[in-house]
Amino acid sequence: MSEWRRVFFDGLSLENPLTVLMIGLCATLAVSTKFEGAFFMGIAVIFVLVMSNILIAAVRKFTPDEVRIPIFIVIIASFVTIVDLSMKAFVPAIYLFLGVWVPLIVVNCIVLGRAEAFAYHNSVWLSVADGLGMGLGYTIIIALLAAFREIVGSGQLQFLGNTLISLPSWYAGPNIVLLFPGAFIIFGFIIGAQHALNRRLRAKSGKPEPAPAQTGCGGCTGCTK
Amino acid sequence: MASRTTSTMQMILSVVIVCAVAAAGLALTYAVTKDRISAQDREAQLKALKLSYPGVDEFESVSSDALTLAQRAAGEVPVYGVYKAVENGQQVGWAVMVGPRGYGGPIRMVVGLDRDGKVVGVSIVSMNETPGLGSQIVERASFLKQFVGLDAATAEADIKKLDMITGATKSSRGARHGVEAAVAVYLELQKSGGTTE
Repeated sequence: MSEWRRVFFDGLSLENPLTVLMIGLCATLAVSTKFEGAFFMGIAVIFVLVMSNILIAAVRKFTPDEVRIPIFIVIIASFVTIVDLSMKAFVPAIYLFLGVWVPLIVVNCIVLGRAEAFAYHNSVWLSVADGLGMGLGYTIIIALLAAFREIVGSGQLQFLGNTLISLPSWYAGPNIVLLFPGAFIIFGFIIGAQHALNRRLRAKSGKPEPAPAQTGCGGCTGCTK
Repeated sequence: MASRTTSTMQMILSVVIVCAVAAAGLALTYAVTKDRISAQDREAQLKALKLSYPGVDEFESVSSDALTLAQRAAGEVPVYGVYKAVENGQQVGWAVMVGPRGYGGPIRMVVGLDRDGKVVGVSIVSMNETPGLGSQIVERASFLKQFVGLDAATAEADIKKLDMITGATKSSRGARHGVEAAVAVYLELQKSGGTTE
């Protein structure tokens, strides 16, 4: 159980897919102009991640190494299509906002990345923890980013047709917040906050700081020189 | 995990089995959601039509021949549908669904015109304009309203006098092209005696 908890919380903090692993950013920046849309995008990613993780972990012993990627993609694409059809049927307004980004979850690095890096080598039970943790980590960050962009950029926060927060009408938000450059800048601050939090978490649990990432020749042990 | 030596047969078989199971799952989901999706589509379309023609609840699609004519009249702007607005069994006007090009792809919009060719309403079904800039063509209520009241006979000159939105030049122009196309469709249908059938 403690292992399960560790895997789950790693997805939220120390290995958060968006702020630490920094994968799947394209869709994140694109759909985070509205809190509502970002929230449902997060739900969709959680569903796809958990389900594909479960299935891939379940069939990992029967999956020949050579054809594992096509098998992952078929499994992932099936769940994404299920989400796609269900959203179209039950939350059409949100589907309209998310548009092409729902089917594009198929090629979202987070889903294939977790399949390859985690689910393929771990039990079903642990893969559930990984899917839930990673999915929730994704959802929290994208919802945070979107809530900030929506409030500052358009002066209000809406959810399912209700206006939750509304700034006075004289407020005219800076448009840049709703455009890509603004998304990058705000996302940068969120990454900073996450890393500050992670440092504190590590200090508390007594885990050592990871060595600064070695890139280029230094990071590879391929040749010993 | 997987055995290190896999025969070609095993590989083929495993992929085929996974694909078959996936296909079955998808077929099931499709069957469950199919009706709801088409109902939602119809509802969204009806809502847009109603918005473009205040007070009318019934719309009838025109024949495909008329639609071909309409598309020819609209030129480059795609015409997705032409509907007769019906009130108490009598046609009172038209609703034309067009997709002029905006900044981020087509702006799907419906333009309502009464029998005399006066624009009675403009509504946008879906678009992909930049939030905060292009999206103002919907958010600023005054923008779409200024098209209301245009007369098909004089629209060509009058429409150029309307205000465009700063920072949303392409989107505003897209909406204008949409109304122009709808007017062209109206004039064409009028010429071919569409209202009397």
